[in-house]
Amino acid sequence: MRSVLAFLGWRLGRALVVLWLVSTVVFVVMRLSGDPVPLLLPPDAPHSEILRVRAELGLDRPLPVQYAIFIGNTLRGDFGRSIHFREPAMTVVAGYLGATLELGLTAFVIAAVLAIPIGLLSAVRRNTALDHVTMAIALVGQATPTFFLGILFILVISLKAGLLPTSGRGDWHNLLLPALTLGAFTIASVARLTRSAVLESLAADYVRTARAKGLTELVVVTKHTLRNAALPIITITALQVGTLLGGAVVTESVFAWPGIGRLCVQSIYNRDYPIVQCVVFLSAVTFIVINLCVDLLYGVLDPRVRPR
Amino acid sequence: MSGLTRRDLLKGAVALGGGTAVFHAGVERVAGQTTQKRELAFAQGGDISKFDPHFSTSSNDIRVSFNLFDNLVTRYPDGKLHPGLATEWKVTAPTTYSFKLRQGVRWHNGDPFTSADAKYSIERTYDPAAKTMVATVFGTIDRIEAPDATTLVIHTKKPDPLLAARLAFYGGQVVPKKYLESVGPDTFNAKPIGTGPVRFVSWTKDDRAVLEANPDYWGGKIDVDRLIVRSIPEVAPRIASLQKGEVDIITQLPPDHYERVNTGPTQVRGALYAGLYVLAVNSKRPPLDNPLVKQALSLGIDRDLIVKELWRGRGVVPNGPIAKGDNHYEGSLPPLAYNPRDARERLKKGNYKNEEIIIETTAGYLANDKPMAEAVVAMWRDIGVNARAEVVEYSVRAQKNREKSFKGLFWSDPTSTLGDPDGMMWRLLGPGGPQDYWRHPRFDELGAAARSSVDEKFRGEAYREMTQIFLENFPWVPVIQPYEDYGVQRYVEWTPNPNQAFEVRRFNLKMRRA
Repeated sequence: MRSVLAFLGWRLGRALVVLWLVSTVVFVVMRLSGDPVPLLLPPDAPHSEILRVRAELGLDRPLPVQYAIFIGNTLRGDFGRSIHFREPAMTVVAGYLGATLELGLTAFVIAAVLAIPIGLLSAVRRNTALDHVTMAIALVGQATPTFFLGILFILVISLKAGLLPTSGRGDWHNLLLPALTLGAFTIASVARLTRSAVLESLAADYVRTARAKGLTELVVVTKHTLRNAALPIITITALQVGTLLGGAVVTESVFAWPGIGRLCVQSIYNRDYPIVQCVVFLSAVTFIVINLCVDLLYGVLDPRVRPR
Repeated sequence: MSGLTRRDLLKGAVALGGGTAVFHAGVERVAGQTTQKRELAFAQGGDISKFDPHFSTSSNDIRVSFNLFDNLVTRYPDGKLHPGLATEWKVTAPTTYSFKLRQGVRWHNGDPFTSADAKYSIERTYDPAAKTMVATVFGTIDRIEAPDATTLVIHTKKPDPLLAARLAFYGGQVVPKKYLESVGPDTFNAKPIGTGPVRFVSWTKDDRAVLEANPDYWGGKIDVDRLIVRSIPEVAPRIASLQKGEVDIITQLPPDHYERVNTGPTQVRGALYAGLYVLAVNSKRPPLDNPLVKQALSLGIDRDLIVKELWRGRGVVPNGPIAKGDNHYEGSLPPLAYNPRDARERLKKGNYKNEEIIIETTAGYLANDKPMAEAVVAMWRDIGVNARAEVVEYSVRAQKNREKSFKGLFWSDPTSTLGDPDGMMWRLLGPGGPQDYWRHPRFDELGAAARSSVDEKFRGEAYREMTQIFLENFPWVPVIQPYEDYGVQRYVEWTPNPNQAFEVRRFNLKMRRA
C-alpha cells in the first residue's frame, strides 16, 4: 500500500511540474504572438482608446508582473476574464465543455465498441477475406483527413440520403455524424493494434497450453488471449482520447459543433489569452489524469508491473 | 495543411457529391416554392460575439442587433433613409437638428420608449466611462437635449449634413436607459432588451441564438414567429444545410459556389457591397511616395480579368474612391483602366529603379484576398515591377494597421458607413484617420469643407475634385466592388442590404406560403 502511495505522490509531483511548464509555455507563446487590443477595437479607434483598453486589461504592466499575477491566479483556479467575451474564462470554457465531452465520449465509445471486436475478429480470422476487407477499410479510415471525411458524410449521408442533420447540436441525430467522423481515426488505429496484439498473444505458449488443455476456442480467445493483449490495447485506446480532443477542432468546425476546440482556435485568432490558457491547462490535466489511470490500470491487469 | 489545398479539396468534395444531391432535391421541391414554416433560420460564417449593440461593429453581430434594436433613422436595402424611432427630423438652426420621436413604442419588457432613452443611448456611445467600441461614430455631436418625451434636439459642433445617416448605422441602435442602468452592461448583454421586431429568447454560444417576433412591433409583426441565427463556419456544410432545407438563408456565399446554389429550390441574392476592396498604400515608403509609380501600379492591374476569373463576374470594376450606390458617385467616370504599355512608360518616367514592392495580404480575411494578391503580383511583374506577396495573419495585419507599419500595400475593405464619401474616403484617408499615409493640402481642404457643408452642390464638386486628386496619387489602389452573396430558399422573399444589416422587418421579409 505504501509503495502505491509513494508512486501516486511521485506521479502527482511530476504532474504539477508538467502543468507549470505547459502554463508557462502557453503564457509566453500567446504573448509573443501579438496584441489582442487592435482586434477588439474598430480600425479607426484613436491611440488613446487603445492605451485605455490595454490598461483596463492589465496588458500595460511588465511581463514578469503579468506572469506573477497569472501564476497566482491559476493556483486559485482563476484564469482571468476573457478579453473577447468579458466574462471569467472558466465560465466561458465550462459553457463549451459539455458539447466537447458529449462528442468526445460518444466518439470514444463508438470507437471502442467497434474497434476491439473488429480487431479481434480480424486476428482470429487471419488472412481471410474478412481480415483483408476490414483492415483495408481501417487503413483508409486512418489515412483520411477528418475534414474530408466529415464533408463526405454530410454530402452523402445528410444531403443525398437525407438520413441525418448536416450540422449543429441537438439530439442524438445531430451527434452521430460528428462522432463517427471524430472516431474514424481511433476506430482504425485501435482495430489495427488490437489485431496485431491478439495475433502476438495467440502465438504465445500459454495459448498453446490452453488449447492443449482442451478449452474451447471462445474461452481461449476471451480469457487467455484478450487479457494478455489488453495492455497495448488499453495504452493506445487511452492515448486516442488525446487524438479525439485534438481532432475535435476540425470536426467541430465542419459540423458547427459548439465545443472547446472551436472556442480555442477562435480565441487564438482573437489573442484571447485567458481562454487559451484555460483550455490548454484543462487539456493538460485531462492527459495527465488519463495517463495516471492507464498506469494504475496496468497494475490491476498485470500483477508483474505493480509497484513493490 | 495549407488553406489552398484544403479549399480545393472541399470544392472537389462538393462538386463530387453535391451536384447530384442538388439535382435530386431540386426535382422534389422545385415545384412548390412555398412553405408552411413559421420560423426563419439563417446561418452565418461566425458566431455572434455581443448583443450589446455599442460593443461591436462586426457583421455577424449587426445582423442581429439591427433587428433587436431600432435606430432613430433606418437605411433600407435600397440605400435610402427612412423613419425609424424618429418619425421626422429637421434642421432648425445651422447646427441644431430636431427629431420628432414615434409615440406609443414600448421596449420588449413593456417600458415606454421616450426621448430620454434616445439621449442616453447616443451619449453612451462616447461616454468614456461606458467604454464602448463605437466611441468615434458621433464625434460631430456637441450636446443633446430631450425637452419632452417625444422630442430630441441634437446640437452639433459644426453643420453636419450626414447626422441622419450616422444615426442609421452602427452606434445608432437605441438602448433602454432604465433597464440598462438598473441591470448593468453585463446583464444587458446577456439579456438584451430593445424596441426592435424580434425579442431575445436564448443564445448557445457557437451554436444558435433564438429570437421571437415582437407581436406589438410598431412596424407590424414580422412574417415569422421565430428567428434562429446559426453559426456554421465552413462553407460546404453551410451550403449543405441550405440545400437540405435546415436553414432558409446563408450568408457569405463565395462566388465559386454561385451556380451550385442558384438552382432548384435555392437561389442566390446579392447586394453590391457598400464599399470597395482596395490595396491600401503606405505612401510614405519609397517608391510608393511617387505618384507615377502608383499610377503605373493601377494601370498594371487587369481588373476585368480578376472580376471574371476570381469572382465569376460577381463584382464591378471601380472608377475611383467612391463606391457605386453612394452619394456623389460619378457614373460617367470610366472604370479604372488596364494599360500595361502606359504603365511601363510611367514607371520609366517616374524613375522606378526596380525597388521591391510588397503586398502584405491576408488569407481569408477578405474573400479572395490571397488569390487576388497573387494575380496582381503576376500582373505587376509583367509590367516590370519587382513585386512580391507576403502572407500575414489577420491579427498581424491588425497590429500593423494600428502601428501604420505596412511594408507596401495591404488589403482593406473600406465600408461606406454613411452612404457618402465622408463615411469612407474621408473617414479613412483624412488627416489622423486609420489610413493616413499620404497628405495633399487641397484634398484635405476639400474633405474638411465637405464634411461640414449642407450645400450638396458644393459637396458634389468637392468630391469630384478630390476624386481627381485621388486618381493622380492613388492612396488606395481600388480593385473591385464585389457583390455580397446570400443563398436563399426560393420561398423566402427577402432583399439583402448592402451595408450588411440583415433586415427582417415586414417591408423586407415575406415567406411565400401555400
